[in-house]
Amino acid sequence: MEHDSFLLGDQTFSSRLLLGTGKFSDVGVMTRAIAASGAQIVTAALRRFDRDRPHDNLLGPLLAMPGVTLMPNTSGARTAEEAIQAARIARELCGSRFIKVEIHPNPRHLMPDPIETFNAARVLAAEGWIVMPYIPADPVLAKRLEEVGCASVMPLGSAIGSGQGLSTAGLLQIIIREARIPVIVDAGLRSPSQAAAALEMGCAAVLVNTAVAAAGDPAAMAAAFAQAAAAGRQARRAGLMAAAEEAQASSPLTAFLQ
Amino acid sequence: MKMNNTTHEPPAQLPEALDPRPWLDTPPPDARAVAAALAAEAPDEATFLTLLRADPAVYLEPMARRARALTRRYFGRTIQLYAPLYLSNYCSGGCAYCGFAADRHQARHRLERPEIGQELAALKRLGFEQVLLLTGERTPHADFGYLCDGVRAAAAVFHEVTAEAFPMTTEEYHGLAEAGCTGVTLYQETYDPEAYPRFHRWGPKRDFAGRLDAPERALAAGIPSVGLGALLGLSDPLFDTLALFRHVRDLQRRFWRAAFSVSFPRLRPEAGGFQAPKPVSDRQLAQIIFAFRICLPETTLVLSTREAPAFRDGLAGVGINRMSAGSRTTVGGYSEPAADDGQFVVSDARDVAAFCAMLRARGLDPVFKNWDAAFRDVLVPETRRCCV
Amino acid sequence: MKLMLNGEPVETAVTFVAELVREQAGAAGRVAVVVNDRVVPAADHAATRLSEGDRVELLTFAGGG
Repeated sequence: MEHDSFLLGDQTFSSRLLLGTGKFSDVGVMTRAIAASGAQIVTAALRRFDRDRPHDNLLGPLLAMPGVTLMPNTSGARTAEEAIQAARIARELCGSRFIKVEIHPNPRHLMPDPIETFNAARVLAAEGWIVMPYIPADPVLAKRLEEVGCASVMPLGSAIGSGQGLSTAGLLQIIIREARIPVIVDAGLRSPSQAAAALEMGCAAVLVNTAVAAAGDPAAMAAAFAQAAAAGRQARRAGLMAAAEEAQASSPLTAFLQ
Repeated sequence: MKMNNTTHEPPAQLPEALDPRPWLDTPPPDARAVAAALAAEAPDEATFLTLLRADPAVYLEPMARRARALTRRYFGRTIQLYAPLYLSNYCSGGCAYCGFAADRHQARHRLERPEIGQELAALKRLGFEQVLLLTGERTPHADFGYLCDGVRAAAAVFHEVTAEAFPMTTEEYHGLAEAGCTGVTLYQETYDPEAYPRFHRWGPKRDFAGRLDAPERALAAGIPSVGLGALLGLSDPLFDTLALFRHVRDLQRRFWRAAFSVSFPRLRPEAGGFQAPKPVSDRQLAQIIFAFRICLPETTLVLSTREAPAFRDGLAGVGINRMSAGSRTTVGGYSEPAADDGQFVVSDARDVAAFCAMLRARGLDPVFKNWDAAFRDVLVPETRRCCV
Repeated sequence: MKLMLNGEPVETAVTFVAELVREQAGAAGRVAVVVNDRVVPAADHAATRLSEGDRVELLTFAGGG
């Protein structure tokens, strides 16, 4: 089966795994995990520069990785205005046109704010950014974001870091069926099998962070996630068999047509 | 103006989003493929075509069961009822298959304002709350202004007013919406751009692309629902139904706030002698309806009185969830008998009471109203638009 | 002059943004500069003057999903 790819804005990607950069023990572990996975899109957040911890600098190592597109995210922003400002700051740092709009004002559950996210996405999309909004698995919100020009939608599988997997599966199926842009399931995945399930469902890719960073061997886990995502995609294209058969009932409905 | 079918217009083309040809070349489905299609959670073009090509001797019954289960899931046991009201049978068109074509000998008539009022009152007495207003192709006798006046009159009396007339501009559809129109029905007749000109011999209806684009103009203008269909019998039913399926899915993804319905007008032998080039049998039509229900489970599917009683009885609630009853296809004809012969012969001549009795006997629930007009009046035009 | 730098008061002798960046970030690589909520592009660092009481943020990327 030949390689298939998906479009974000005007750019083509073939890897079905996106990686986050949080919670790694150090930058070296992070870059080895990215390299092992073949991920082509990596997301990073902004923070204040700390002169006492210059070795935490991600930008240099990330920009040095061939084939990797840096997608800054607006994590930390609580409002649309803050997210838009974060996008400008991120572009100043790396020049990327990609922006993951990530606005979660409640630090306990980190659920995305749909209103601030929509307002930020609408402004940024109009300015020509490749906008990737992180959202609750809300089918109507997904269509509204598509309408205002987002390059994809990134509905959550479950809360960030919770490892609860595809708890929103029913809603994800609706979003995927109705979408005209790629759907990237983001957050809450704990295991590669869940990534495979998401791709079998028909999403374009998955974004994983905690499950890789917190693994015993992050590079090996990242590679496993990449393989699982690719397998799920291949299974989807190969045509999965029916899940269940309908039982035959009593009197025929079509006798009148004989 | 040339009025013959030898004009050298460049042939129209189906947009890629509607073109069924990439799927039509696939081999016939095996048992595994049909089983997968019957149970598909996210049906697509391949699912639809598999169901259409499944051997009816084996699969018609399982398809019927699945169709009934899905109809019940999305619509309960309700059957929406509506009445067609032909406002006028003046027509500028040259459709080879239609009793109203300009070269057919029909007593031509249009309802004047008082007559429209009488017809609407008669329908109201029969219990209807949903009316479908019809005209032929645009003529000076029955133009946009006339249709709009008819919509306005009906919207004052009925909860739902659908118009099945002629392709209009976005501005005209906006005017129709402002007048209280809640839905527009327009059949492409055939989606095959090479066959289309053979049946549409002259007039504005020769504009294949303009007709194809009309539903999206209506939706963009704020019409909340759209009805689509192909005239079964004109061309290869696999081609037309798959193109129709793709048309509905494309519009549903783009105008995702809107409601959609699919109808199944089928060519019947008619007095003018037009023979359907690709006749569709009862079993084939049933299979088509089941395939649509399975693959568009939340979309309303409509069967009119053009079909015979036994067929309508069998499909009610088994795929079909919306039907007309006690219909007249003459101009008016509800308050007093009409002078013309009607657009087509009504095969199911049962009156509303008898039809509803049949539905109830089958455990179905006839409903005369879907949405209350109070919602229509509350919405301002900006929130009625269905897409940016 | 006194500035607020990354939320903390500091005393500095520099005049231009570029000088502040060199003083604070040295050779640590690229930082983004925001002065009084306005992003200052790198091309303008050398020519942008700082004033007493300016709120300055120096930002870089961090690990985060």
